[in-house]
Amino acid sequence: MAQAVEAAAATAAVPDRVQRHAAVDRVFHWLTAVAVLVLMGTGLLPVVGVKFDWVPIHWIAGVLLVLLVLFHIVRALGWQRIRCLWISAGEFSATRVGKYSVAQKLMHHAMTLMVLAAAITGVLMLAKVDTPFFERNPYLFSGATWGVIYMVHGFAALAAVTLVIIHVYFGLIPENRMYLRAMIRGWVTREELLTRHDPNRWPGRKSRQ
Amino acid sequence: MDILRVSRDVYGQEVLEGVSWDLLPVAVGIGVLVIIGHVIWRLMRGKRGA
Repeated sequence: MAQAVEAAAATAAVPDRVQRHAAVDRVFHWLTAVAVLVLMGTGLLPVVGVKFDWVPIHWIAGVLLVLLVLFHIVRALGWQRIRCLWISAGEFSATRVGKYSVAQKLMHHAMTLMVLAAAITGVLMLAKVDTPFFERNPYLFSGATWGVIYMVHGFAALAAVTLVIIHVYFGLIPENRMYLRAMIRGWVTREELLTRHDPNRWPGRKSRQ
Repeated sequence: MDILRVSRDVYGQEVLEGVSWDLLPVAVGIGVLVIIGHVIWRLMRGKRGA
């Protein structure tokens, strides 16, 4: 009984507009998107025969992505609620989800794996490129180890292609327009939130009128 | 279709070069398949709901 009253009170307290993404997180998202697209373009266009001096653009975008990932890790651990991204068994059958749906969480986790694999191997591959950071040393690892590093980097690139296609599609379909707007302007409406989300399962929800 | 790119060194031993770029169309295809699957699911759900 008390729980039902609490849930009803939480629903009643939802304002007309609810902030879903803070400005800093939106800027992070779009900068990451630009970095990933530049990395995919510079890394994969030469594969399909478009020849240009791609290496400098690729490693500079890669360093930017690594900095963004480090920023995101610090922000996620210090200022965001990690449990928003935890997938529990009950969510698969729930009619309304917390802040993120299971599909959104799975996409985040898949992107995380892909970006970490690409970023870690990419940092190691910087040893083969002339950069202002350190002297080029292609003999840092054995040929076999370089092969594994290139393989992981390549699989991450292929995963990026698949994930970006899926992410852009689900970001643009009409029923997800609220999430695209939230990633641009930050907020969802009360109706949108209550239709698809449970305010009681949205940890640390901040609101603005 | 190869999954990995392999070359031979001066001693004739196989050396792993990385992933085979033959897989690039496969990566695109998986993404497109997910989209087609979702479109079909939406159409079927729409018909059931009508």
